[in-house]
Amino acid sequence: MSERLASELGPQEQPRVPPSASQASAPGRSAHWDGPTYYGRPQLKAAPFNNWVVGAYIFIGGLSGAAALLSAIADRARGHEAAPVVRRGRFLSMLAPTLGTSLLIYDLHTPQRFYNMLRLVKGTSPMSLGSWILVSFSAFSALGTLAAEAARWMPRFPWLRRTARATQLPAAVAGAGMTTYTAALLSATSTPLWAAAPQSMAVRFGSSSLAAGAAALALGNTGRMGRTLDKVALLALAAELAATCVSHNTYRRTGVAPALNGEWGKVEKLGATGLGTLLPMGLYAVSLARGRSPMLSTLAGLATLAGSATLRVSIMAAGDESANRPDVSFRFTQPRNLPKRWFRR
Amino acid sequence: MAFPLLRMQLSGPVAMRTMEGVVTIVQEGRFQLTDDDGVSHLFLLSHRAAVEPDQLPPLQHHQARVRVHYTPARNLIGFVAHSVERSEMPAA
Amino acid sequence: MDMPARAAEEPQSRLDRMIPNESELTAGVRIEPGKSYGFFTDTTLCIGCKACEVACKEWNNLPADNIGLTGQSYDNTGALSANSWRHVNFIEKAGACGVRDNTQAPFQSGWLMMSDVCKHCHNAPCLEACPTGALFRTEFDTVVVQQDICNGCGYCVPACPFGVVDLSELDGKAHKCTLCYDRLKGGLEPACAKACPTDSIQFGELEDLQERAEKRVAQLHELGAANAYLYGAPGSPGATGDLGHLNAFFLLTDRPETYNLPPAPTRAANRVAPSLGTGLAAMAGLALAAFAILSGRD
Repeated sequence: MSERLASELGPQEQPRVPPSASQASAPGRSAHWDGPTYYGRPQLKAAPFNNWVVGAYIFIGGLSGAAALLSAIADRARGHEAAPVVRRGRFLSMLAPTLGTSLLIYDLHTPQRFYNMLRLVKGTSPMSLGSWILVSFSAFSALGTLAAEAARWMPRFPWLRRTARATQLPAAVAGAGMTTYTAALLSATSTPLWAAAPQSMAVRFGSSSLAAGAAALALGNTGRMGRTLDKVALLALAAELAATCVSHNTYRRTGVAPALNGEWGKVEKLGATGLGTLLPMGLYAVSLARGRSPMLSTLAGLATLAGSATLRVSIMAAGDESANRPDVSFRFTQPRNLPKRWFRR
Repeated sequence: MAFPLLRMQLSGPVAMRTMEGVVTIVQEGRFQLTDDDGVSHLFLLSHRAAVEPDQLPPLQHHQARVRVHYTPARNLIGFVAHSVERSEMPAA
Repeated sequence: MDMPARAAEEPQSRLDRMIPNESELTAGVRIEPGKSYGFFTDTTLCIGCKACEVACKEWNNLPADNIGLTGQSYDNTGALSANSWRHVNFIEKAGACGVRDNTQAPFQSGWLMMSDVCKHCHNAPCLEACPTGALFRTEFDTVVVQQDICNGCGYCVPACPFGVVDLSELDGKAHKCTLCYDRLKGGLEPACAKACPTDSIQFGELEDLQERAEKRVAQLHELGAANAYLYGAPGSPGATGDLGHLNAFFLLTDRPETYNLPPAPTRAANRVAPSLGTGLAAMAGLALAAFAILSGRD
């Protein structure tokens, strides 16, 4: 009995024992921080989110929102020609209310109280704003999809089609919110990697979602719609690449770049930027130059989708690492990194 | 409650134990139980427990005798309570 | 032992009733709703006894966690957590080759000890991040997590610039120092402040504490401890980046990083508008471009 209790009582992992007590003032792990740390212990706490679950939600939510946004644009721009794309867009937009919401509730540590998220609207909390963006997006998407599908079965009721059309714009606006609010959510924390570049990360997330949405809508589509959607994806990927460069520059300038030296930093470089942005850009460019090769287009689309998902998970994991490394968090919270006066509210 | 599948996955192989005693201190979702031998034990309400934190203070005000089903917790001198129910004093 | 004069003026306390306004006797401050209360922790008085840690665990019925020795001086608690709301830092200042100086500056020894706690920030990032409203500001200007509402989303945890609030995996909710909210309501000062034998932890009204702290810093400078400064007072390190001030502030004698404190933390909520605004603007631009591409002739 006492043996079992002893093993039950022990800590999960052995505490780190420094060579001597005077290691309290030991310099940080990396060359760029020569100040003291407290026994190398983290100064912050990393987010307790399951990175796979929440990363998957950010990807699915962004994809859904972008699909709704793009299908609304396609409907206005092309009308009947875009009908299959619009229909697929409606189904994609249903991913967020169903799969996305389930993932979020699963990640709560007291899931039976999930409805408490809707007790209030707090402008300082992107998680509060995001819950409402998700709810409104889900409502408009669900209503629109139901009405549109019902209109196909019951063409005698024109108000069904009108309802479906009326929900398009609100769903698109909420969808635009879905693509980018998650970056604000990560930025409005003290985790160094996420807090360092709030604006470029928002553009990165938003454009990655748009590219993923265009890729998902274009998969298997031939003809003019496929071609134009490929161009949209290429444009969004270019925006993502630009935002990535700005982000990495900002990380270097604020001193959080070492957080990207680990495994997840490599995943972010190779998976998110390499496989997810540069490769599909190249494939799309070649495909479009040849008058749209379906195989290259499909490959590019799949790479875009994989890269978009990889981006979210790797940024979350690298962020957790930046919070756990005192050399990174101390370097970030130096007075020279404080926002300039004009920037503050 | 809402996710029975999750509960089945998470309950794991840890055996549930039972203790009876009087609730003597309550703070948030934690309570102290003094058993019949006079030994006090500390419990945390599991997030899956059927009891809510605000149901604990009345138990403490009445110094109620309860039966607690609990499991041990790693790296903690305390137990995780899964259910708390009123019980009767055993016949003397 | 003689009864203090103030205690003699109070009516005889009954066995089943606590002393009314006990904080006036123990801390010299009357606790009234509507005023700002906090801690001034003078680390030059701390002897590292950890009575504050014990009193906090006792009063709040917190279980002992982080069992085992860390080997990090006398700090076996490690950090603030869901079950540790007071944590005493120990730093042994080393001289050359890891051997402690035996010629020391006047007044200060080779030890740094600081009792870390939730700072109860004026513009608390945890409160601003909480989507359910579980984290709220009390009538005593402190920040408390309401356990009945918290659904364990864990967003407050990365929001805190000091790494204080923590999510308990066992009970699924966030926990942190409540500044003994239940004691304040009963007219008692917080358990840690009451237990502190050297009055290193001083409880009181915030303005009084800040005045007292500035006088103490001036006194220390006169005594030759020129490196004494306030952390978390308005305009000092720790109260930067639009956090305002910290209701629980400190007097330190070394860089903040030594005590595992950030020198220039920021208010996380200030990043919401720039991030969301830029993101939405970018999406609007991309949407317009997409419209142009989709409606153009090829």
